[in-house]
Formats: sequence, C-alpha cells, structure tokens
Amino acid sequence: MIELKNVSVTYKNGVDALNDVSLKINDGEFAFVVGESGAGKSTLIRLLTREVKADDRADVKSVIKVNGFDLMKMKQRDVHKLRRTIGFVFQNFMLIDSMTVYDNVAFVLRCIDAPTKYIRKRVPQVIGLLGLKDKKDSYPSELSGGEQQRVALARALVNNPQLIIADEPTGNLDPRTSVEIVKLLKEINDRGTTVLMVTHEHELVKRMGGRLINIRKGEISFDDRI
Amino acid sequence: MKQGVRNILNNNIASVATFCVLTVSLLIVGFTGVFTYNINSFVSGVEDKNEVVIFLTDDADDIYIEELGGKLRSDENISEVIFWSKEEALEGIKEDMNDAEDIFGYIDENPLPDAYRIKIKDISRMSSTLYAINSYSHIEKVKAPYDFVNILTGLKSAITVVSGIIFISLMLVCFVMISNITRASVETRHREIIIMKFVGATDGFIKIPFFIEGLVLGVLAGVVASALTFVGYDRLVMLLSTETTLFSAMGSSGFIPLDKFMWQLAAVYVAAGALFASLGTVASVKKHVKV
Repeated sequence: MIELKNVSVTYKNGVDALNDVSLKINDGEFAFVVGESGAGKSTLIRLLTREVKADDRADVKSVIKVNGFDLMKMKQRDVHKLRRTIGFVFQNFMLIDSMTVYDNVAFVLRCIDAPTKYIRKRVPQVIGLLGLKDKKDSYPSELSGGEQQRVALARALVNNPQLIIADEPTGNLDPRTSVEIVKLLKEINDRGTTVLMVTHEHELVKRMGGRLINIRKGEISFDDRI
Repeated sequence: MKQGVRNILNNNIASVATFCVLTVSLLIVGFTGVFTYNINSFVSGVEDKNEVVIFLTDDADDIYIEELGGKLRSDENISEVIFWSKEEALEGIKEDMNDAEDIFGYIDENPLPDAYRIKIKDISRMSSTLYAINSYSHIEKVKAPYDFVNILTGLKSAITVVSGIIFISLMLVCFVMISNITRASVETRHREIIIMKFVGATDGFIKIPFFIEGLVLGVLAGVVASALTFVGYDRLVMLLSTETTLFSAMGSSGFIPLDKFMWQLAAVYVAAGALFASLGTVASVKKHVKV
C-alpha cells in the first residue's frame, strides 16, 4: 500500500516539484500516473523509492508510507529493505549488456544474497512466466525492444515484490508491443501485485482503462477511474 | 570475494587498463625512489670518508689523553676514534721523507703533537660537535675538512629537496592516473551499480566486490612491478656503469645491491598498489551508491 499525506518536495535549487500531495493506492491496485514533462511524475517515483526526501515542514505533518515502511522516519541504512519490496521497470530497460537473460534476472537475487538453490529454482520459473524460456541464454543486444522489456519485467518480478513501479515502460516500444507489455503488467497485477505505471501515452491509458492519476505542476489534478 | 574476482574477469578491458596504469605508476615511483636511495647512499659513502684531526697540547698527560678518548667515543655524532701518538706521527713523516732521513738526526725532541683522528657520523652537525671538542682543555688545534663538508652538505640538501619534489610530483601524477582509471572502470558499470541499489543491495554488498577487485588488481600490479624491478635493476646498473661517464667512475659496486632492498621494495609496491587501487575504486563507487 502507498499512502501520501500533505507531501511536498522542494529541490535544493528551489524548484517545488511536489506541492502538498495526498494519495492512497491500496494493495493489489493498478494505477496509471500521467502528466506533462516536469509535472512531478518522476519526483513522485523518486519519493516512493526514497531517492529524494519530502520537505520536513513545521506547519503540517507529512506522511509517506510504502509497503508498511514509514519513509518520513526511515534511516538511510534501511532504504535497501524498502527497495526489496519494490520491483522497478525502466523506460530504457536498464539491462546489463554483458549478462545473459538468465543472469540479468538472477542478478537481483544474487544482490540480496538469496541462496543459490532458490535462485536456480526461481529464475527459470519467472523467465517461463514471461515467455522467455527460449531466450534465457541470449544477451540483451540479441533481443527486440519488447523482449528486453519482458526481461526487465522478469527482473522486477523475481523477488516477489509487493509493488511494481514502471517508469514509462512503453516509451521505447511500438504501439503493439506497448499494449503487450501493459497486458503483462495487468496479468502481474491480477496475481495480487500492486502496479504503478507512469506514462505519457494517453491513448494507451484510455484503451486499457483503470485508475488514472494526473499530476500537474506538482499537484494531483485528477484521480479517478476511467 | 568471488564477486570481486568475477568482476575482474567480466570487465577485462577496464581491469587490464587499471592493472597497467597501476603497474606503470608503481614502477615510475619505485624507480625514482630506488634512484634517490642510490644517490643518497653514494653521498653518504663519500660522507663517511670525512676525517677530523684533533691536535693536543704538549702538556696533556696520558691520563688526560685517555679521558679525552673516552669523551670522544661517547659522543653519538662520532663514529670512529683513533689515537695517533706523536711517535706514530714522526714515524709516518720519516717514512714519507725516506730520502731525507738525515734531517731527523738534528732533532733532539719530537716536535709533533699527540692527536686523535675521528670520523663524524652526520656532517651536517659537524660544527656543533667540533664546538664541543674545542671547549675541552689541552686542545691545540682542530683540523676539519670544512670545504668538503660545506659542499657535501649543500649537495645533500639539494638532492633531498629535488628528489623530494620529483617524488611527490610523481606520486601526485600517479594518484591522478589511478583515480581516473578506477573512476573510468567504475563508470562503465554505472548501470550495474544503479540496478544493485534499486533491487535493494546494501552499500556494503555493492562496495565490497569493488574493494576486493581493487585489492586483487593492486596486489597483482605490485607483484608484477616487483618482478620487473628485480629484472630491470641489475641490467640498468650494468648499463649505467659501463655506458655512462658519470656512473662508470662509480663502477657497479657504487650501486646498492638489489638484495639489500628488494623485499622491502616488493612489500611497499604490493601495499601501495593494494591501497591505492582498493581505496580509489571504493571512492569512485561511493558517488554512484548515493541513490
């Protein structure tokens, strides 16, 4: 679950990126976040992953809760615990070119010191789920954009996250593949994982439907189902 | 540990570049150090050849002469004390003037004074040592090689300053080279580090493999630099002492033998390589870890 109450973010250069934002996304929900460039979408994601901190305001009590973690009170040394409950999907896939599909997915579990036995069992499972079984020994450069994003999805899923944050995951894909990826995200969501997808593709959102959160000039200007 | 070694193998171009820069840096600084060490040793060798003669007055009796000998021997800046009696001095002159031996028939009494011949350990402190000696009684005259000492002291301090400047400059250049290459090496793995941070790896988990990687590369560079120095030093000494005028005068014996410093140098190479590479790498990673 994500819960934000009266949250503002001001960068060191004085830019007000988010202004008194309140938002609640329940477990198992699927929400699109839309908005123009510079509206505050990226700041919202960075806030949820604790890349940036909210303003510490004397007049208002701000609340940020993600997957049971209180981010206003969280110490820097505990940030990794929060991130282990979140799966990330990036616009540019962010795969490691020198690793095969299998290793890119296994990398996540190796990073959190998961037992080798579990890695050997879990990675093929997820790769199979995303339809990449035949590509497990391929390198990212040998894959299409859609396949690369599926690898990124597999990587996001492999650690059984409570929440998946997808930052413009279809930004580098053609319309048909984009729909495929969103459908996959929906399937993941159907299995109980909360999904927050940032996009600027309004057509895609209309076509898929669901909860839509629009951010404008650092504030939530629309939040409803479409 | 396994991850650190795996990183070296996976990033072989960056690893080879880091290793080469480290080895070359260690060799540059190491050879400069060894060269300075040789020059200092050469100057110290010349310095050891200094001799001060203390002539005593005729009224100094045996007991006093013995007492003065004790005082000189207890001075920590005097390395050698030899008593040179007036009889020995006369015998010496007689030997030197073999063909004019008759002259000595006209001398009733030995006119030469008793003397001490001493060697000064640190000639830069010679003045204060001689000042103390002059304050003793029954001292007729103290004969010291002041010109020699002044030239040598000047030369020694000039060598210390110049070699110090060269050494520090080279260290800085090498440090910049190492930090650039480690930064470039880490930069190529920026994506890897970012992903690690996003999937919840701890800072320690991210840094330790880089630390190990730097450590292994540093130790390897230290070992290779040691091997190259061991092979190169003897050949260089041979070449310098036969091919160049300045060093041929010294001969190969004027150089410090390799076995006198090789293990110390190897230890410094390995330690410096490991330290610079591991800390350089970790410092470069630190920037990326702050996500």
